[in-house]
Amino acid sequence: MSDIQQILVPDVGGDEVEVIEICFSVGDTLEADEGIVTVETDKASMDIPAPMAGELVSLDVNVGDKIKEGDVIGTLRQAQGETTDSAAAPEEAPKAETPPSVEISAPVETPASAPAAGGSEVVDVIVPDIGDDGQVDVIDVLVSVGDEIAEEDGLITLETDKATMDVPSSHAGIVKEVLVAVGDKVGQGSLVIKLETNSGAPAAIEQPAAPVAAPAPEAPVASQVPVAKAAPVPHHPHAGDFKAVGKVYSSPSIRRLAREFGVDLTLVKGSGRKGRVLKEDVQSYVKYELSRPKANAGSSVASGEGGLQVVAGKSIDFSKFGEIETKELTRIQKISGPFLHRSWVTIPHVTQFDEADITDLEAFRKEQNVIAEKQKLGFKITPLVFIMKAVADALRTYPVFNSSLSEDGESLILKKYIHVGVAVDTPNGLVVPVVRDVDKKGIYELSKELLEISKKARDGKLKATDMQGGCFTISSLGGIGGTAFTPIVNSPEVGILGVSKSEMKPKWNGKDFEPRLMLPLSMSYDHRVIDGALAARFTVHLAQVLSDLRKLIL
Amino acid sequence: MSNEIKTQVVVLGAGPGGYSAAFRAADLGLDVVLVESRETLGGVCLNVGCIPSKALLHVAKVIDDAAEMASHGVTFGKPEIDLDKIRSWKESVIGQLTGGLGGMSKARKVKTVTGYGKFTSDKSIEVEGADGKTTITFDNAIIAAGSSVIDLPFIPNDDPRVIDSTGALELKDVPEEMLVLGGGIIGLEMGTVYNALGSNVSVVEFADQLVPAADKDIVQIYTKYNKKKFNMMLSTKVVAVDAKDDGLYVTFEGKNAPEGQVRYDKILVAVGRKPNGHLVAADKAGVNVDERGFINVSKELRTNVPHIFAIGDVVGQPMLAHKAVHEAHVAAEVISGKKHEFDPRCIPSIAYTDPEMAWVGVTEREAKEQGLNIEVANFPWAASGRAIASARTEGKTKMIFEKETGRVLGGAIVGINAGEMLGEICLAVEMGADAEDVGLTIHAHPTLNESIGLAAEIFEGSITDLPNAKAVKKKK
Repeated sequence: MSDIQQILVPDVGGDEVEVIEICFSVGDTLEADEGIVTVETDKASMDIPAPMAGELVSLDVNVGDKIKEGDVIGTLRQAQGETTDSAAAPEEAPKAETPPSVEISAPVETPASAPAAGGSEVVDVIVPDIGDDGQVDVIDVLVSVGDEIAEEDGLITLETDKATMDVPSSHAGIVKEVLVAVGDKVGQGSLVIKLETNSGAPAAIEQPAAPVAAPAPEAPVASQVPVAKAAPVPHHPHAGDFKAVGKVYSSPSIRRLAREFGVDLTLVKGSGRKGRVLKEDVQSYVKYELSRPKANAGSSVASGEGGLQVVAGKSIDFSKFGEIETKELTRIQKISGPFLHRSWVTIPHVTQFDEADITDLEAFRKEQNVIAEKQKLGFKITPLVFIMKAVADALRTYPVFNSSLSEDGESLILKKYIHVGVAVDTPNGLVVPVVRDVDKKGIYELSKELLEISKKARDGKLKATDMQGGCFTISSLGGIGGTAFTPIVNSPEVGILGVSKSEMKPKWNGKDFEPRLMLPLSMSYDHRVIDGALAARFTVHLAQVLSDLRKLIL
Repeated sequence: MSNEIKTQVVVLGAGPGGYSAAFRAADLGLDVVLVESRETLGGVCLNVGCIPSKALLHVAKVIDDAAEMASHGVTFGKPEIDLDKIRSWKESVIGQLTGGLGGMSKARKVKTVTGYGKFTSDKSIEVEGADGKTTITFDNAIIAAGSSVIDLPFIPNDDPRVIDSTGALELKDVPEEMLVLGGGIIGLEMGTVYNALGSNVSVVEFADQLVPAADKDIVQIYTKYNKKKFNMMLSTKVVAVDAKDDGLYVTFEGKNAPEGQVRYDKILVAVGRKPNGHLVAADKAGVNVDERGFINVSKELRTNVPHIFAIGDVVGQPMLAHKAVHEAHVAAEVISGKKHEFDPRCIPSIAYTDPEMAWVGVTEREAKEQGLNIEVANFPWAASGRAIASARTEGKTKMIFEKETGRVLGGAIVGINAGEMLGEICLAVEMGADAEDVGLTIHAHPTLNESIGLAAEIFEGSITDLPNAKAVKKKK
């Protein structure tokens, strides 16, 4: 007897993640913890590991699917001989994942009066008079092949110079073919979809030819169809034509109001008696449209608390000026860009600069590394570990730096733990793994952990949980160079320490200039949470701890 | 003498459309110049159309009503007709209205230039007037040039015995035998007047129905009521008119054509109106005018030249003053920067005949052509107390509802005062009212107007003034 188990999505640290790669196919044998599929979160990509060794029986996700914690990826048959405590896993595992049965039981007692000859026919649905002579853009396609739609259901959304409007279906039926795509231009008479109408009553028997199109038997049509928001496009009489019979139910004053705001009344749901469109309906529609995030707004902050009204950049043909090459942003860049942008525009940044005298620290560190080598500890102690310890000490001394603003901006959430994120440069882009409980760990332990986590980051093996829970971030460019920079706060944290390259500088000790190794610190902070004076104290504290490590034990 | 004027808005033509556009634009704060070839404002409607014809129809109605009273016990003597007096009364009606317009125009500081205006470019108009030329340069223009009567080629139009509606309204004499060429609204209205004044009136119409735009059942009631009054020749046309000293000898052809030539003392040609689009040198401004003389406009009433607008008869059917006035307001408002459009659900039509015929929205025939799913409710005036008391039970009120929703799509009334009653149906169509709304609105009793509410009750199945076809069937 084989033991089949479902493969569930573990905590992926986000609402929904996208499957970007399938690593195995059905029938493959895999080891426990081997990645079955690769998903991409807003921070990094990660593998979903197999819960046990075995043979992949089914796989229910495809590249591009969005999955979340608890979703079933597929099923796995446990390898022979291996026993697990989940041996009692229910055997009906693959339920519900098989496509629904296409069989529709046509009731035998169908009224004899129903014309058997009715059957189904395929009709073309075209764009009706949209009150615009030219071609207009398709900005949304609301149906796809196989959808069952009712008459008047919206098929595509058009954007004219005045408003957006949905093109309603002229018939009820099943979508056989969608002939337009977003971005196409259409005009009156353009073909939108081909629709199989169920004109005669019980046409279902001859239907198995189109299994995809068959509706799930248990789902009544009414519940599948969203509330039709699209009535037909109104007929605008040209001057002198008094035959107009619009179907929008509203008085002349409301129609004029709608015109002034460029509102397509066919898109407004009337709240008056019998669905009459009232003034309030037009007003609330306008409010809704204004508050709605617009597609291509260019920035993820455009929605919500007041978008930025910035002028769109002009498109420039750079090839006019010389040879160019277009290279796509990396996945991590594409994902982190909007988050960086949000932090940049929503957090009032101030950067505090300072220098720490690390002459003694470096002497101590080098001594310790010699010892470490002798003892074959397998790692070197880097300056970063000391900086982490100093940061942990400063965070404990100034708890405001270890906080986040509440969502409503009314209160501060202070954290009683100290987890520090460390920005790591990888071939794919910048990632920020988090080292937990830095205040409780020794230099050796931190050194070891940092080594491991950096390797994982460079290999692209970080898990989402490895990058969560940070309180404060350190971004060190000291290995490369530079005197100072202004790091961007890693929201929802409130501070970030930028570290540049240390340099021997002449320092006045009261009698003469003494060569001292100085480490430049650039500490950016959220000015909504932290005052300048406090930031200066925090940075000074950091510098003092780094100058004299004995302060760590005070 | 030559004048030069610079203005924000020039309006070409001072009919109901033209003066409304000018006044509305002025009230919206714009500088306006109104160009009109007549000495008075008001155009065809006030001077030689709607208004004078109503004055004469009032005379006709009193004559007819007085005669009718004999059968109800009141006998008047034979009316003595003083044409000069009738004419001067009619003139006083016109004078009162055009004078009022002149006063309102002055009060609004609308400058009036008298003379024939023609475009010289897309920024200027030249007006040829009695006191010389005036050149008007403008930012925006509104063409409200109206329409003129259509002449027929085979008619001796120069003969003074051949008249059009303007000539008929001059009321020079009352001919013994009069032929009305064209059974439309204008022909029938003037026929009604001359019949009351004593003429024998014949009406010849090419179509198989008078007033072809209206529904057949409505016109049939009119035709039946007037069978004795007029000699009606439907599906018939005039092929020749021979002008002799003792009269105009007319040859007919068609279904109801009389044999040989028939002599008439006067012929009224009322076969329709043609737009005056070709008369304003619109081409100089780059405005497109089609071959019939219509100027195509957008819903904002813009021509193909964006700062030049056109309204009224010159932009298309129906050629009605009330349509022109509404278009005029929209054009003026658009010029002043408002985002308005001419977007009515319906435009009413009324024949001020006896009985009157009035209709609005879709007719039954149009509904069928458009494939609308309608239900018609007819309330016959034989069941109306007010109609019976007025001895005019021939009328009926017809409402056209969308079957599924009960929405009022149109309506038609034939009977006395039909025109005055139509407004309620216009409002119902425009507001999207349904049968229930109309039926639940309390109409005063006894009125002719309550027939509209009762027609709605027929649709609703709540009628008690008639047998109810929708009553619950009792099981026996």
